[in-house]
Amino acid sequence: MPGVSRAPEPLAPIPFSIPQPFQKTLENGLRLVIFESDRLPLVSFRLAFLSGDAGDPEGLTGLTSAVASMLTEGTQNYSSRELAEKIERLGAHLSAHASDDFFIVSASALSIYSDDILDLIGEIVFRPIFPENELDLYKRNTIENLKFQRSQPNFLAGEQVARKLYGTHPYSIASPTAENIEALSRDALASHHAETLIPNNAVFVIVGDVDAAGVTKRIEDEFGGWQKGAVPMSAKVIPPQRDSIGLTIVDRPGSAQSNIVLANPAVERVNPDYFPLIVMNQLLGAGASSRVFMNLREEKGYTYGAYTRLDLKRSGGGFEATAEVRTQVTGDSLKEFFYELNRIREEKVSEQELDDAKNFLTGVFPIRAETQEGLTNLIVNQQLYGLPEDYLQSYRSNVEAISAEQVQEAARRYIHPDSIAIVIVGDGEEVLAQAKDYAANVEIFDTDGNPKDAAGFSQGAAEPPAAVNGKWDLTIDFQGQEIPASLSLEQSDGDLSGSIETALGAGEISSGRIRGKRVSATAATEIQGQEIELTISGEVNGDAMDGTITGTMLPGPMTFSGKRGI
Amino acid sequence: MSDQFNLPSLEVENYELENGLRVVLNRDMAVPVVAVAVYYDVGSRNEREGRTGFAHLFEHMMFQGSENVPKAGHFQFIMKAGGTMNGTTSSERTNYFETLPANQLPLGLWLESDRMRSLAVTQENLDNQREAVKEEKRLRYDNQPYGQIFDLINEMIFRNFANAHSTIGSMEDLDDASVGDVQQFFRTYYAPNNAVLAISGAFERDEAKKLVEFYFGDIASQPLPSGLDVAEPSEVANTYREWEDKLAPFPAFLIGWKIPARRSKEFYALYLAGKLLYDGDSSRLYQKLVKGEESVIQLFGFTDERRGPSSIFVGAIPKPERDLSKIRETIMSEIRSIATEGPTPDEMQKLQNQLINDAVRTRQSAMSRAQQLAEFMLYDGDPNLINTELEELLAITPDQIRAAASEFLDTANRALLDVVPAGKG
Repeated sequence: MPGVSRAPEPLAPIPFSIPQPFQKTLENGLRLVIFESDRLPLVSFRLAFLSGDAGDPEGLTGLTSAVASMLTEGTQNYSSRELAEKIERLGAHLSAHASDDFFIVSASALSIYSDDILDLIGEIVFRPIFPENELDLYKRNTIENLKFQRSQPNFLAGEQVARKLYGTHPYSIASPTAENIEALSRDALASHHAETLIPNNAVFVIVGDVDAAGVTKRIEDEFGGWQKGAVPMSAKVIPPQRDSIGLTIVDRPGSAQSNIVLANPAVERVNPDYFPLIVMNQLLGAGASSRVFMNLREEKGYTYGAYTRLDLKRSGGGFEATAEVRTQVTGDSLKEFFYELNRIREEKVSEQELDDAKNFLTGVFPIRAETQEGLTNLIVNQQLYGLPEDYLQSYRSNVEAISAEQVQEAARRYIHPDSIAIVIVGDGEEVLAQAKDYAANVEIFDTDGNPKDAAGFSQGAAEPPAAVNGKWDLTIDFQGQEIPASLSLEQSDGDLSGSIETALGAGEISSGRIRGKRVSATAATEIQGQEIELTISGEVNGDAMDGTITGTMLPGPMTFSGKRGI
Repeated sequence: MSDQFNLPSLEVENYELENGLRVVLNRDMAVPVVAVAVYYDVGSRNEREGRTGFAHLFEHMMFQGSENVPKAGHFQFIMKAGGTMNGTTSSERTNYFETLPANQLPLGLWLESDRMRSLAVTQENLDNQREAVKEEKRLRYDNQPYGQIFDLINEMIFRNFANAHSTIGSMEDLDDASVGDVQQFFRTYYAPNNAVLAISGAFERDEAKKLVEFYFGDIASQPLPSGLDVAEPSEVANTYREWEDKLAPFPAFLIGWKIPARRSKEFYALYLAGKLLYDGDSSRLYQKLVKGEESVIQLFGFTDERRGPSSIFVGAIPKPERDLSKIRETIMSEIRSIATEGPTPDEMQKLQNQLINDAVRTRQSAMSRAQQLAEFMLYDGDPNLINTELEELLAITPDQIRAAASEFLDTANRALLDVVPAGKG
């Protein structure tokens, strides 16, 4: 019974149609978008405002997000606890959050409770009182979180990328500081709330088992008296101009990995090149069958995952390529990234790859719209970005229409390998040695975001290499056990070759270098029948060497100390 | 409120192929998406001493290729069709599932049938997946703060080896596994008559049945594995343990109780008691500890649902310098209050609405429907429970919740695991 040897052909496609919603604008400017669906007795609400974190006043970064979190922490009629009880007693969900561009109040409930939840939305939007004690708890917990996020390499990379992509625009600020949070006051929250949560800068999206006429009437009654305000302006991004590659290192000593991001400015979300861009990005790196992943992970084994992504906002955007790689292969990974970024600009993609990318995007679209929350999010985005009326209906045919020429054109227009910003969070000394040749200029920061002196930093690398030729007797601490090993090194300027032998197994050094006193090398060894790549990094002082050895299959780094033999 | 509410009924059909494969179909044309879920009746509970970690190792092996699907090809086929997929292992079962555009149903069935029929159990695949599992253990358990606490507390709660040992298993056991052992395991547990296939979403019934017969009909059945004993005494194995965690930045603790099997009245009642204690911003412990005392950074709790003796947990990561024993007193005193006074009428209303809401929401996605149907088929032989279980839950009375909390939670028969940070510095 051999089974069927080839993948079967698909059945006839089933069309996926999203009907047009009911729309109405109230006299105070509030836009209603109602999408009736009696598929299940559920309803979702999004009251969304076109002003977000990017509209925080100077010195009060974090204000918009604080208003969002505090909306459910106390109103004129109910305490924080009473609100939580009222919402959850309906089995419902109600919360608010802010992103760079938007402020969104979200609710979902059984449709029998649609009136009750509308009342609660009105309560938190119109009558929040931002109680002192709740604000205080919010501030203390937020400051703890700010500290915690500085331990996360992804955050540190994102902070620098935002700065490189957005120059002086508010998008360049990835996060408030503890001082910003300390400075938040009840008064500041209350006046920001009054200024930004205005009906003529909002859209109210309702999806689910509701009667459009009935829900419109109720919203007119409850939200009709809401006063208009002055719509805040949003500044367009003027991307910083660069004509060469810059390297930004965040020195995180002891990192076993380098978090690499290559980033350059792209465009805002609403742009005629959107569809060529997302097809290009899918093919290049959005998924686990895209080029970048297949190269850096599947072929080279540098990393668990490597991707590219588009971060397209309301007033500007960026293209990013990212991977977390073993420190040892930081430079090699950059080489592969640049290879892929150049290749997609220079060569037309094959029809097969193009079809795979388009099939993924068109296939996954109905899966994203399958739940009410998923569909609601698609509609909210369409409304907030002001995408065409038939955007959701024509999404799949727009993807299908993209040609290989358009993919190449999008790559040429929006990927700039000659002026891209390289941001790497990792062991500064090692990262600098491996990455500096890729960039025309270098800046270095510590994990608090303060600049470090790059000149003093690279001294280790500029020092003449120590003399390390010879046979070294090492003692490795393997979980409390002392294991002897012997390391033979042969030196040619900054490069090393040789071999390592341990009681567990032996192997040749495949890549090794010496920078000043610092030795680093990888060796492919066979230990008990398993291929294990050892990474050796040490510091030489005369005839002594200390350092660590890590292995692909071994727990944690093992420390060693050694002496040069005769 | 529940009186006025009728849960929309799902159209469910189940039947069995000649080789014993149990098939469940749920046709729902709302969105042109289809989900395929295959559940094998094998989990860590089927592993005997010296052979732990096999069920999970197999989950990895199932992505290593079969007669007609190349190594790692499963994933590429699904991605290129615009689908999503995964597989997971628990004490109870191993499952594999994919969501696809509806017209790709044949692809999903082909991929699942090919590996059920002809998985490539080779020395090379075994060796590299063994290493992948070790790497996963390091990444997800050994190298994560608090990564091992759930495995540790299971050993404290359960006395029967089938229940007590971890899903990830022992690395020595995996090293001892020979290709022969693994092939035997595959023949026994990955047979069509030890599995359930559930399909939910947009398809035509006759077409789907024909496809299922075509792809799965000629896979040979196997003698069923022998019966399994998961019985437990009611006492926990160990009431206290202190655990030094090298990676934990803060102290933490976890309390676990042994409770009756899933779908028993007591289990339902305790599931509801748990929701009142730790689920959501209005829950009793959130209001006491996160608000109120402002003493914890994070509070969590959940039930571990099993066909045999099951468990329920409450844990917390306190803020620095807080007195852990005081926090535990607060937790136990809330439990005592439920065990003596029972839930309030407001709380009962909340539970009823949350249960209805959860039941309706689960119906939205083809994948969550397929998974529930497969589970009810495998565990209970009755996929129609997806339509009727809600009534059983809604019928639980405040006094049943009180009595269950009193018998199973308000007791010294519980396991307490204290996590002590033991890092340098």
